[in-house]
Amino acid sequence: MAIQIKNLSYTYLKKTPNEVEALHNVSLEIPENKITAIVGHTGSGKSTLIQTLNGLITPTSGTIEFKDFVITNKEKKNKRIKELRKHISIVFQFPEYQLFEETVEKDVAFGLKNYGFKENEAIEKAHEALAKVGIDESFYKRSPFELSGGEKRRVAIAGILAIDPEVLILDEPTAGLDPVGSKIILDLIFELNKNGKTIILVTHDMDIVLNHADHVIVINDGAIAFEGKPSRLFSDDVSNYSIEIPQLFKFCKLLESHNVKIDIDKIRTIDDLVDQLRSRHG
Amino acid sequence: MDSLTFGRYAPYNTCVHRLDPRNKILMMVLLLVSIFLRVDTWSTALIFTGVIFLFLIILMIISKVSFIQLFKSMGAMWVFILFLLIIYIFIPNPTYDPTHIAFYIGTYGVNYDAFYQSGYIIFRLILMLMITMLLTSTTKPMDLTYAIEWYLTPLTLLKFPSHIVAMTLSIALRFIPTLLDETQRIMKAQASRGVDFNRGGLFKRIGALISLIIPLFVSAIGRSEELSNAMEARGYDPYGKRSRYRVLRFGWNDLLGFIIILAVFGGMLAAKIIDANFMKIDIIYLIFGAKPLF
Repeated sequence: MAIQIKNLSYTYLKKTPNEVEALHNVSLEIPENKITAIVGHTGSGKSTLIQTLNGLITPTSGTIEFKDFVITNKEKKNKRIKELRKHISIVFQFPEYQLFEETVEKDVAFGLKNYGFKENEAIEKAHEALAKVGIDESFYKRSPFELSGGEKRRVAIAGILAIDPEVLILDEPTAGLDPVGSKIILDLIFELNKNGKTIILVTHDMDIVLNHADHVIVINDGAIAFEGKPSRLFSDDVSNYSIEIPQLFKFCKLLESHNVKIDIDKIRTIDDLVDQLRSRHG
Repeated sequence: MDSLTFGRYAPYNTCVHRLDPRNKILMMVLLLVSIFLRVDTWSTALIFTGVIFLFLIILMIISKVSFIQLFKSMGAMWVFILFLLIIYIFIPNPTYDPTHIAFYIGTYGVNYDAFYQSGYIIFRLILMLMITMLLTSTTKPMDLTYAIEWYLTPLTLLKFPSHIVAMTLSIALRFIPTLLDETQRIMKAQASRGVDFNRGGLFKRIGALISLIIPLFVSAIGRSEELSNAMEARGYDPYGKRSRYRVLRFGWNDLLGFIIILAVFGGMLAAKIIDANFMKIDIIYLIFGAKPLF
């Protein structure tokens, strides 16, 4: 099921002199089993949007529909919010701050126990999730606080993965990681998507958008500025959205203008470009 | 979060805002003392606290302090008010005039004086609330700590680390909003893992709190380490001699404000001395020649 967002608005500190409208009349559909990237400069309303998606904040007006869940502005006392969060989960920016248990496996199992899994079952599922993010057995009994930054982040992501949500929202999952750490996380996200999860990725990195995303949403001043394929976005005039066009894309455009026939829509990585050039020139 | 906004600094530029924070602290102390000088004769008490009340209302209007915040914090006091009333009504007091019985509960006579006494205390507490609100919402927390440091300086002669205390205080004040943001963030992150902070039994709630408190402590300690490194990297030495960016100045307006407050304080002190030592003057009787009510 896709997530349907209709006329969503959100105002911070309503009815005070400091009120700020973070989202204004946003309507969009987040496609199922795709990687959707949400981009926009700081303060554009990206974080507000993802937080409304799993009921962490209640919209001022408008609705969000997913399966048989409907979020409206009267959702404060909804008992199904917790259930909704089992289907749509958010991995926040710097998720390593949410770690608190004595051991890695206990921390990952924490979310499962909140959803009523028995201890053994939760630990078992935690091990599965840890294996997915590439954390091996030697870490299970260690304290999460003695891990490196990248490892902590993977453990924190495993904590959400263990709940096995259908929609996974990640807020800048690679922020502050070294290139190797970033690659591990991005490959993991790609892998999860292949296995049928809907991914929503908030990012500033346009290379990630080009390499991985199927669908891009640009938010500017609380409204949708663009919605569509990454290649279409980069062909547009993006000067207003503080977006930097990836070098690879610029290079392909340059090739095209020199009459090299390539299919830009299908080029996501350097390897794709190399393959296309090879097949054309034997 | 709303309950925490009480007395938060409001960045206006009124004449009260511009006063020297050292002077403001001194004036606040004088006003607080004059409020808590107890006057026994009810009409004198009424007139003097009434004058202070009007004076504070005018100050609040001048300095654009939010009345809504005041009412909100008064609303939070109702349990306290109830408690005071119960104590004053049910604990017999020999100084009450036995002829002033309002009504009987069984055979126990409830005295008018009990209502008067508890009302007097509550009224003075509200005045106190107004004064502290006036101070904190017109003075930047940083300026307050500078002022406190200034008052502590004489203690350096006794090897008291007044600068270190002031620095600790200002850092603590600076990080309150940061930690509040952090709390919100961690709560949201844990809510994404199925923690429900609002529902569930006692043990569930304790578990939920642990998942909030431990990460909060970890990040606070991490932050303090980073901060101390950053301070050292910029050459901070608590025992070194430092110059100031913001120099506090005691100007003419400060003098004027101080004289006004001193007059109020003097008036209250005079009322207190006359009331306690010479005679129970009923001011209404004195001015209007009317007979005292009680």
